[in-house]
Amino acid sequence: MILALHLVALLGYLGAWGVLLRAFRSGGGTLETPGWQIAVAAVLVHAAGLVAFVARFGTLPLVGMGPASSTLALAIAVLGLGAAVRRERRPAMLFVLPVVLGLLGLAALVGLRPVHLDSAFRGPWFVFHVSVVFVGCAGLVLGSAAGAMYVLQFRALKRKSFGSVFRFFPSLDVLERLNRLGLLVGFPGLTLGLLAGWSWTLTYGRGLALRDPQVLFGVVTWLTYLAAIVARFSPRWRGERAALVSAGAFVVSALVFVVLRVLIVGPESVFL
Amino acid sequence: MGLTVVGVNHRTAPIELRERFYVPAADVPAAMERLLLAPDVEECAVLSTCNRTECYVVAAEVGHGERAATVTLAERAGLTPEAAAGHLYVRRNREAALHLFRVAAGLDSMVVGEPQIQGQVEQAYRASRDARPDGVGLVLHRLFQSALAAGGRVRAETAIGEGAASVPAAAVQLVLKVFGTLEGRRAMVIGAGEMGEETLRSLLDRGIDEAVVASRTLARAEEAVARLAHPAVRAVPYLAVADVLRSVDVVLTSTSAPHPIVTADALRASRGTEGRSMVIVDIALPRDVEAGVGDLPGIFLYNIDDLQRVVHATVQAREAEGRAAEVLLGEELDGFWGWLLAREAVPLIRGLREEAERIRRETMEVALEGITDLSPEERERILGASRLVVQRILHAPTVGLRKLAGGAAGAEQLEVARRLFEMNGRGRPARADEEEGTGMGRGEDDGE
Repeated sequence: MILALHLVALLGYLGAWGVLLRAFRSGGGTLETPGWQIAVAAVLVHAAGLVAFVARFGTLPLVGMGPASSTLALAIAVLGLGAAVRRERRPAMLFVLPVVLGLLGLAALVGLRPVHLDSAFRGPWFVFHVSVVFVGCAGLVLGSAAGAMYVLQFRALKRKSFGSVFRFFPSLDVLERLNRLGLLVGFPGLTLGLLAGWSWTLTYGRGLALRDPQVLFGVVTWLTYLAAIVARFSPRWRGERAALVSAGAFVVSALVFVVLRVLIVGPESVFL
Repeated sequence: MGLTVVGVNHRTAPIELRERFYVPAADVPAAMERLLLAPDVEECAVLSTCNRTECYVVAAEVGHGERAATVTLAERAGLTPEAAAGHLYVRRNREAALHLFRVAAGLDSMVVGEPQIQGQVEQAYRASRDARPDGVGLVLHRLFQSALAAGGRVRAETAIGEGAASVPAAAVQLVLKVFGTLEGRRAMVIGAGEMGEETLRSLLDRGIDEAVVASRTLARAEEAVARLAHPAVRAVPYLAVADVLRSVDVVLTSTSAPHPIVTADALRASRGTEGRSMVIVDIALPRDVEAGVGDLPGIFLYNIDDLQRVVHATVQAREAEGRAAEVLLGEELDGFWGWLLAREAVPLIRGLREEAERIRRETMEVALEGITDLSPEERERILGASRLVVQRILHAPTVGLRKLAGGAAGAEQLEVARRLFEMNGRGRPARADEEEGTGMGRGEDDGE
């Protein structure tokens, strides 16, 4: 049941992305609305899948790679769709949905079973830590997506390339606002979440060393997005360069995650 | 019943000829009068814009409607019907309906997807109805309403109207792609050319906060401001251009200067290291803005060729959307045409019911004659039962006839049904015509 709902949601996200891709290729049109609607339906199915997880295992899907990836994917999808309630922002789903698809695909692949069922991973402090980090990550993904789109639209306008990017992507102003919104939601969320995680680690007597992959990932992500925040709000760096740093921050974080996940951390790790 | 459209448009006649066919609103009553005088014409409407003049006619025979519309248009243009026919197109029945659907959706326009035509079709319908309320009947009312609804659906469900299809619109689109909205933005027009004014007018329509016009002489700038007649526009002396450049977001240049009037060095000096966005649209020939200006940070520079490329890309995108629009129009047309054909079944159904009622009444009179011991209530119950029997028997044929009429071969199948029930085209028993020695029925079909 849990896996079936996740697979249906996966197909829904894939369908929504396909529709948006088609709209992009035709350079606009009215397909972004059906794409958004399909994504909303997929979010509901996805949420049902996670509710089924809670009902079956009696624990929140926050620990273990599969459940955590799925929850993070849902947080990103919800925030992305929420931002895309305004029609002009809907094209941003073109960049947000692949991240959701990747995380959900990963969750389905590694399995949706809870790990580390001891009490330390169930307390409200831990739930708060993970939830806030996920909301922060969702905001940062949205900010990075808008940043990447800003760079592409900026170059299309500068190079006078009046193709699909020019027609389908929103204006630079809309993308800049979306980028700022994502960073303003994401960075404080990540900061608060990391602080909560630090406090939780100290409470349960676990080590907090940089060689711990989770700590390393948190610190690298926080630093890259700190750079994005500084660039976005610095008068000398605004515009294309700030957007580039935002997009780059996501690439760096994703690469660090993949490297740590594949090379260092075992399958039973709590690290995502 | 036949539906016909006869017309002239930008594809079949040059503007000199279209002017002669043009029917201004004041002349619509006379044109309708002329059409309705023709034999067998039941309904008519006139649609006349700068790109087309069309007469929509509903007549007992398609040929009669075509003749009436051709003669009316020829008279209007001062031509013989034969001479006019060379420039006119004729669409009949379903094709005529499809034509109006395409016109309303902007698929038949010079610039595909242009939005004005929807309002023009609505105005034409209203003008025709106001000119002769009895001249626009149920069929044309339904046709125009269906066409307007189809046009609205095409605009809502396809991108046929998106993008910029003219040079001023392209300039506005470029500005909006940078700033998103024009609220709180300032523009400057350098030069008092027609295109610059037109573009500024488009920016003002989209809500730009403030605009200044600079020209070689203040008097020329003030003339342009007077023509624009907008409270947010004012004239400034040409010498103030450098100062104004520091604070505006959009610059339109359209002077006839033989050399660039905005150089990269001057703009760099004016803006310093500021990276604030500025869109410069140079529609002058030779160009007013040095090409290197586009390399400055925050500056988006476009010339007339760039604007033409935006227009070209829009036209291509709209043409691609046209295929999706045609599918939608086909669906909408099926709805209208099904209704129209089903309407053809109305006289037959009415005649069938009248004939059945006549038979029931006569039969019951004979059956009840001489039965004297029935109370009025019992008598009414028996008559009520006979009415119910007739209604139940006719229910299935009634539904079936409506379905048949609305189907693909509706006309042929209705004819078979008429023969089967021995009815004429006016919903009267065929024997009644024979008895009267006339081919005409009793009354006109009065709708559903």
